[in-house]
Amino acid sequence: MKIKLLSIMALTIPLAFCSGYVAAESLLNAIFTPLRQKEIVPVDNKQYQDECGSCHFAYQPGLLPAKSWEKLLTPEALSNHFGVNAELEKDVLNLIHDYAIAKAADKSYHKRSRKIAQSTAQVEAPLRITEVYYIKRKHQKIPENMITQNIDVKSLSYCDACHTQAAQGVFEADTVNIPNYPDWDN
Amino acid sequence: MRLNFRQLNLSIGIFLASLAGTGYSYENSPDLSQPSRNFYTQDTRAFLLAANESDDAKFKNTTKVVSPAADFKPPLFSAGKVHQYLGIGTVVLAGLTALSHPEEECEGASCPTNQPREVNGSHARLAKATVAMAAATIATGLYAHWDDFNLADGLADPDNLHVLLAVTGAALMAYAVNLSANSAVPVNHAAIAEAGALGMVVAIKLNW
Repeated sequence: MKIKLLSIMALTIPLAFCSGYVAAESLLNAIFTPLRQKEIVPVDNKQYQDECGSCHFAYQPGLLPAKSWEKLLTPEALSNHFGVNAELEKDVLNLIHDYAIAKAADKSYHKRSRKIAQSTAQVEAPLRITEVYYIKRKHQKIPENMITQNIDVKSLSYCDACHTQAAQGVFEADTVNIPNYPDWDN
Repeated sequence: MRLNFRQLNLSIGIFLASLAGTGYSYENSPDLSQPSRNFYTQDTRAFLLAANESDDAKFKNTTKVVSPAADFKPPLFSAGKVHQYLGIGTVVLAGLTALSHPEEECEGASCPTNQPREVNGSHARLAKATVAMAAATIATGLYAHWDDFNLADGLADPDNLHVLLAVTGAALMAYAVNLSANSAVPVNHAAIAEAGALGMVVAIKLNW
């Protein structure tokens, strides 16, 4: 009985390490939910989806930490949003800002968000998802000709060009289909 | 008469001109077939180049909108999927092993030493199958997800925790099976095996 108790303690203590990277989602819910939490929380806010998705793929807030969204979602930053004026009305911006902060990577128990949160914890807030070390590392073995020189992909920032379930927040390798390279992983 | 002479000269001139034209036309027959594809492509390209200022704009006009293949179906069997099925299978087998434990069998120091042991029964076989499947899970996990395992990310990294807990869990189960199989008398091994199975369950949950 003593051995059993010690073993359970030894196995559950490492879980406490995760608590530093979470806030919004509850730990108990994360442990006991039967739902899959391997990927990223999909966008479930219509205004966020409509406003951001009208110009580009509506990147899930869990792809960047809160400190990045704080920098990106200000009136000044949006007036020059990567070279484009993407200004929003104040109340719309507030709503999108609050949603992104609440669902940011460092406030999620979903695995990929946690990995993003960890890889950005000690560095300055990245403004692009492609600047996140974890994202870079996951794509480093993909040859240039499959991305920038691929006329149907163009850039790493077009997530949904290859990640066929990106809209659902699923980015696992089995769901990747690089246009013009059906055997990309061989 | 004078007019007729002029008319005659004009007629002769037209005749000779037409004759010369006919001869020229035989030597240089016009190509009335459709222009080649390159002709049109170059022409279109010239228009596009004139209309666009940047490479990005050029892409926009020459390519379709970037979107995932609608008919793409993720494979049912891949290294990652096999690893996933094996992991779940290990936990199921571990549960069946626990359920098949003979109730009447005595464990611990208080047991009589001459108690007959069933070392080839369903419990023992299921336990060995569980350990074998756990080993296969680890092997396929290392093969499919080697890139995700990085010590530099620290212990708090979900993938590192997954590996640590799963390997520890499998090792505990293997130790429990070995302990019982190599003992002449019944030994207390259930707690170790259950802790190992729990480790695998937590490992799966972390990456579920």
